[in-house]
Formats: sequence, structure tokens, C-alpha cells
Amino acid sequence: MNALEAREITVRFGGLVAVSDATVEVPATGFTGLIGPNGAGKTTLFNVVGGFLAPERGRVLLGGRDVTRTAPAGRAKLGLGRTFQRLELFGRMSVFDNLLVAAEAGASRLGLAADLLNLPVRRSEERRCARIALDMLDSLDLGWARDRRASDLPVGTARILELGRALCRNPSMLLLDEPSSGLDSAETEVLAGLLRRINAERGVSILLVEHDMDLVMDVCRDIYVLDFGRMIARGAPAQVKADPAVRAAYLGEEDDAAPAAPAGS
Amino acid sequence: MTGPVGILLRTILLGVVTGSVYALASTGLVLTYKASGVLNFGYGAVAMFTAFVHWQLAAGWGLPVWLSAMIVVLVVAPLLGLLLDTHLFSRIQSQPMVIAVIATVGLTVLLQGIVFLVWGAESHRVPSMFPRAAVPLPGGAAIGADQVAIFVVAAGAAGLLAAMFRFTRLGVSFRAVVDNRPVAGLMGIDTGRVSGVAWALGTSFAALTGILLTPETLLDPNFLPFLVISNVLGAAIVGYLRSLPLAYAGGLLVGILQSIIIQYGRPQGFLVNLKDAVPFLIVVGAVLAAPKALRLAGLGASFVVRTREVAGAASPRARAPVATAVFGGLALVPLLAAGSPSWVISVTRGMVMGIVFLSLVILTGYSGQISLGHTAFMGISAFTAAHLAADLGVPVGIAAVAGALAAVPAGAAIGAIAVRLHGLFLALMTLGLAYVAQTMFFDNTSISRGLSGFPLPRPPGTSGDRPFFYIVLLALAAAALLASNLRTGRTGRVLAAMRDSETASRALGINVFKYKVVIFALSALMAGAGAILASMQTGTIGQRDFYPFLSLFLVTIAVVGGIFHVGGAIVSGMLFGLYPQVFGNVEIMGRLQYLLFGMGATLALARNPEGLFGELRRAGVALLAATARRRRPRAGPVPVAGGRE
Ligand SMILES: Nc1ncnc2c1ncn2[C@@H]1O[C@H](COP(=O)(O)OP(=O)(O)O)[C@@H](O)[C@H]1O
Ligand SMILES: [Mg+2]
Repeated sequence: MNALEAREITVRFGGLVAVSDATVEVPATGFTGLIGPNGAGKTTLFNVVGGFLAPERGRVLLGGRDVTRTAPAGRAKLGLGRTFQRLELFGRMSVFDNLLVAAEAGASRLGLAADLLNLPVRRSEERRCARIALDMLDSLDLGWARDRRASDLPVGTARILELGRALCRNPSMLLLDEPSSGLDSAETEVLAGLLRRINAERGVSILLVEHDMDLVMDVCRDIYVLDFGRMIARGAPAQVKADPAVRAAYLGEEDDAAPAAPAGS
Repeated sequence: MTGPVGILLRTILLGVVTGSVYALASTGLVLTYKASGVLNFGYGAVAMFTAFVHWQLAAGWGLPVWLSAMIVVLVVAPLLGLLLDTHLFSRIQSQPMVIAVIATVGLTVLLQGIVFLVWGAESHRVPSMFPRAAVPLPGGAAIGADQVAIFVVAAGAAGLLAAMFRFTRLGVSFRAVVDNRPVAGLMGIDTGRVSGVAWALGTSFAALTGILLTPETLLDPNFLPFLVISNVLGAAIVGYLRSLPLAYAGGLLVGILQSIIIQYGRPQGFLVNLKDAVPFLIVVGAVLAAPKALRLAGLGASFVVRTREVAGAASPRARAPVATAVFGGLALVPLLAAGSPSWVISVTRGMVMGIVFLSLVILTGYSGQISLGHTAFMGISAFTAAHLAADLGVPVGIAAVAGALAAVPAGAAIGAIAVRLHGLFLALMTLGLAYVAQTMFFDNTSISRGLSGFPLPRPPGTSGDRPFFYIVLLALAAAALLASNLRTGRTGRVLAAMRDSETASRALGINVFKYKVVIFALSALMAGAGAILASMQTGTIGQRDFYPFLSLFLVTIAVVGGIFHVGGAIVSGMLFGLYPQVFGNVEIMGRLQYLLFGMGATLALARNPEGLFGELRRAGVALLAATARRRRPRAGPVPVAGGRE
């Protein structure tokens, strides 16, 4: 069964059709790519999948279950995680607390009353979730930044933290919106390695929106191409690269009219 | 004989006259807001203050009334506006909206403090500039010539503004800034200058408002600021603080609705109370009906308070001894102050208010929400408890608990609304509800039994001030412990996360709705419990004990004491409780109270958001470090107690 299906999604902002009849199917493992020029509607589609935006038409299925009317929090509970193109860290909290709050959102069985009254169960639940957060710190090599304020982090670290925060929730389906934006090529390299590791170790399916074509072509087996809200192509990297419609879509964005180089963000 | 048509005509015309004054004020308010980004909750206080200057010149020093009005509107007010802009508001422009809101609330307190200090708290009748001859209307009714003149002057001033916008070069930059400040800035328009001019103009309009209103209503330093600001906010919200013409129309709407209610609702007391609630019913309605994008943007206002601090706070190891010392010290007060019972009473009052301030700490400090309407919760609790005890004979202890719980549904309801309202909208909404609660319920004497109040006895065995002191101490300790648990635990982390990014919180599966309801309900519960204890201490509750202004004053003091920490609430409580004790005999200091707190909140806010508590803690940490260094001179760098930074 597919981890995620977005079927025939249409989104309109006033007169502008941001997404038009777009369909995406994401298998339960591996990487799927979603590319397209700036303003094509990729983030909008993510917002529909995440439940932050109600589509005018279309349905969203998570693990075969229709969640079109489910709120974002409900979708997260069903295993959907995401990062944001414009970082959405908890800026005033420490790096560790960013991870802890996510771990607790997923794993803690602590009730409100037990928490406010500081009952013994609170301590054991806190320890359990802190373990998850600490493991995540280690596995992302973020130990050095543990007590830093999240808003003080350099953008490369911040993107990794956001990824880690989503992972602390232990998702089965992860939406990544331009995770390499703002990163230099060395950092992007590290990120690519990290993504592969996550994918392999945790068996999480990843839908990747990226402007860095090298990265997308490198990790994804299956790529969707969105242009002006329409899905204009789908296929393996080589196939997509050669597609004349895709080349035309990237014309004007790029000197050499091909998604072979970064297409700007 | 005046026919029904004549009466209707006169009613509407009178509404248009008063309405045009509100319209003028509302235009001034929105103008300043759009040009400087600060919504001045102190607008009514500015009108009141300048009206006092006018009264001094005209009635006190015998200047011709029109000359005095000219001086105030054209010289004094613009200078005051410029002063406010350059010395206060331009400095906090980059700060989050909550800071600006509280600063303007502090401005109200400050200006009232100056007026109390210079002119006292009495109200005055201000002479009118205009003749009072009657002008006949078709249908047999008549309207005063002064009313006509008021309309002409108010409409004329607004017309001048419109002409200035249209026909002058300054007007062009003005329009650009008012349309979109950031873009105007990019286009090379001097937004600072425009903001200064807007403050000058807005203050001028406020002054004219005061001068036109006060011959009709009394010049009352307590009442006038709220008369003006409540009606003006109701008017301004009609255009969602965006459109000057709609703000003007809103003023007319408020005036006409009120005039109709006064004319036709007179026999029923309920409807007359409704008149005062009109602007806030408009606010509440408009806010709830606002387009979603507007609501969630909170009128473009970011509402997260910036501090240098990480939400994790001091380590529990540092906190426990300090808390023990503070509460231990408090417990000794009745023994140490055995000879002076008034100290025991004052400290009790301080602790009671500490509970109320804790309710603001958990709401604003922990979760970044604002409430300018906590008096509503306080009143609901206190009146419920009093009715249960007095009318139904419920034992006082049970009545107190039930009363505190009675605030919970109200708090939960506001929390549910807060899910859909951000920023300024939430501030407006909560202030509106405080006014609605006051005018519709607390001013209803079958609920409040009037100004003299109705009794709320202390629990049996605690009628003495000492036993009651310890009851309150226990309550404060319990509230502080709850707040501390809240902050350090999972719930506190969730609230901090929501405050920083609601979007990311949702994406993690956090139920934002639930937590907003919970935090508002808890905050209302604490405020209600504090209010009940406060009423028990004085023994009675009066109709004006939970007047909306108290909400504003409480927020101001909460910021001065420190709104981010449990300790800050205790400092705030002591400021509130001990001030009269310390300065009770010095009359001038009593009058300075508002001024000092107003200044404290407005001026210190931009520099030290952590308030007095932050200063105290810094001093304490430095002291500890110094002693430790003296004891172990060669021990190397000393770990700082509670060291976060
Ligand atoms: N909230 C919104 N209101 C109006 N238009 C929007 C909104 N969000 C996105 N758009 C428009 O929808 C189109 C798609 O945007 P987006 O999904 O962000 O593109 P991408 O992520 O592919 O760069 C753009 O033209 C953008 O301007
Ligand atoms: Mg995007």
C-alpha cells in the first residue's frame, strides 16, 4: 500500500490556481521527488497533504486512510511528519527542548493532571522521552548545540534540527520542503548522507521537494514534476531529465534550460 | 408637541453629533496605528489629559474658551504627540506587539497618574465653546446649536485631514506609508517623519475629542479615558483598523446606536447598560466575523515576547532553596510584624494579588497570549462565591472553591476563541469582554448589589488577620507550585512551542486547541481564586471592584514585577500590596502610584522585559558569585547558580 496518496488536488487562491488536478503517489519506502520551478505549487501541495490548507477538490490518503478532513495534528498522529521551507523552529527554546517536545508529542503517555501535579509518573515519562531526544542529538551530531537557543543556530544546523525534530515523532511518512535551501555544497553533501541513512535505518518514506537537482536525481527513484500547478511529468531521473515538457518548464529559470543544475529557490 | 418622527430624527441627529466626535477620534487612532504600527490603548487617556490642560487654561486661568482650545489642539497636543513618538513609541517599534500594547496601557496609567498628581481625582465641568440656542427640526423637535457646531468642527477636522492627504506632498508620502509601511520605507519615504506627524495629528484629534466631549460628559479622570477608548475601539474595528473612511463611519455607527438605545431603552435598565456595551459588542462581533487570514495574522502583529532567555529556565537545584527562603520568610512576617498589624494586612494583600499576577505569568509569560480582560474572570468568581454564600447559604469554603471554578468555563471559552484570534485581535477581544462583563453584569445591581457591595466572609476560624494570612500563604504557595510545575513540565514545553510556532506544533501532532483552552482556563481559575481571597480580605465585593481599568493596571504591574517568572508575580504582588503600606502616609506618593508604575512599565519595558525580578535575580547571582569567589580565591571560574547563560 502507498504511504501517501494525494489524488486530483486543486487549490485556488482567489483567481490564481496554485495546484490544478495534481496527483502524487508515494510508496511506503524510499525517496520520491517533487520538483518544479519556483511558484509551481509544491509548498501548496505540501500544505494540503499536511492539512494546513483545505483543497478545493481532491482527496488525501495516508496509509490508505482518507484524511482529507483531518486536522494537521491528527495527520501527525497517523505518522505524517514534515519540515518547512521557511524554518519553523521553536526559536526561544533550546535545541534539546525542541527535540524533547517532539518526542513527548509522540511518545509520552503523561496526562495533563499528572504533569501539573508533578506526580512520579511525570519523571519516568520525562526520562523516557529525554532518551529519545538525546539519541536523536547523538545521531545527528548535534550534541555540541544541546543547550543553544534554536534561533541562534546557523541555517545548516537549524535545518538538521528541524529534520531531527520531525524524526523524534517517529513518522512513517516524511515531507521535506527544500531541506538544502540556505546550505552550502559541503553541508548539502552531509544532508544527503543523513537523508539516506534515515531512510535506510528508520524505514521512513520521504517525499522530497528540492531545488538542488543533483541531490534529487541522486537519491530519488521516482520524480514528479509540477509546473504552474499541473503535474507535467513523472518518472525515473533520467526519464524526467530528458522530458521536453520538463525542459521547457525550466526554460527561463535556467541558462541551459534543463533541471541538471540547481534551479534557484 | 413633538411627534414620533421628530423624536426619531432628533435621536439620529444627536447620534450623528456624538458619533462624529467618536469618528474623529477613531480616525486619529487608526491614522497613528497605520503610520507607526502602534495601536494606542492610551488614546482615551491622551484625550483626558489634554482636556485637563484645556480646563486649566479656560476655567482655571480665564483664557477665552476658543483660544484655549486652539492652544491645546494646535500646540500642546501635537507637541505631546511628537514627544510620545520620539521618546517612547519609535523606540519600541521593532519590539513585538505585546510590548507595544502594554506600553500604551502603561501610558494610560502614566497620564492618569500625572492628572491625579496635578489636578486631583475630582471631575469637572468644562465650559463649551458654542452657544446653546435651540435649532428647530422638521417634525417639531429641536437640537442645540452647540450640537450643530460640534458636528461641524468634528467633520471639518476630518475633512481637513482628507484634504491634506489628497492635495499636499506630505499627504502623498502619508498615503504611501498608511497603505504599506515597509514598502514605503523601501521607496525611500522617511517613515520616521511620517510617523512623527501621525502621532502629532492623532494626538491633536484626541485633544479635540476631549474638548468637544467634556462639556457634555464630565471631565472625569477615571471615567473619560475609558469612555473614549471603548467607543473609539468599537468604531475603529469597523474597518479592521485599516481604513480611515470606515473608521469614520464606525464612529457614526457607534454614536447612532447609542443614541437610539438611550432614547428608546430608557425604561429598562438592562438596555441602558447595553449602551455602554455597544462598542464592545461591535468589537466582539467584528473580530469574530473577520476574514480568517486577517484573524490569524492578528492584524500583522507578532505576539511573541523576545527575551534573552531560553525557555528552559533556572535549574531546579537553584530554584528550590530560593523558593524555600521566600516562602519561609513570608511565613515569618506575622511573627516579626507582631506589633504592626497593618504590615500583616498589606503582605496578605500582596500575596493575594501575587496569585492574580501568577495567572498573568502563566498566560502571557509562558504561552505568549495576552488578556486585557482578567477582571471579568475575577468578577465572575467573586460574585459567584458571594451569591452562593449569601443567598444559598453554602459554606464559605465550598462557595470559594465553586466560585473559583466558575471562572473556568469563561476562561475556556476565551481560550477556544483565542485559537482563532491572534495578536491585537485577542487584546481587543479580551478588553471588550471585560467591558461587557462590567456593563452588563457587574453594573447590574441585582448581581452586584451596587457600590456598597455585598459581604463575603472569611472561612470559619480565619476571621483574624493572622490565620487568614496563613490561608493566603498556603494558597499562594500552591499556585506558585502549580505554575512552576506547569513551566518545567511537558505542558510548559508545549506552550512555549506553540508560542514560538503554532504551525510546527500542529505538524508535530500537538492539539493547539486543547492547550489554549487549558491555559486560559487555568489562568482564569487562578485569577478567580485570587479575586475571592481579595474580597474575603476586605469582607465585601462592590460593583466597581473589578472595573476593566484594573485589568490594564494589573498587566502593567505584572510587567514591572516580571511577567516571565513565578518570582516576578510575587514581586508584582508585593509592589501592589506594600506600596500603600510603605507610602501610605505620604500623600504625594499615593498620587504618584499610577505614574510610577506607568513609567516603570512603559520606559523600562523596552530595556528589560524581565522586569524587577530579572534585576533582582541578576543581583542575587552576582552576589553569590562574589561570595563564592571570596571563599575560594583560587578555585577558577565559579559555576553560576541557576546558570543558564
Ligand atoms: N497563501 C497564499 N495566498 C495566495 N497565493 C499563494 C499563497 N500561497 C502560495 N500562493 C501562490 O501559489 C503559487 C504556488 O506557490 P508555492 O506552493 O509556494 O510554490 P513553490 O513551493 O512550488 O515554489 C505561487 O504563485 C504563490 O504566489
Ligand atoms: Mg515552496
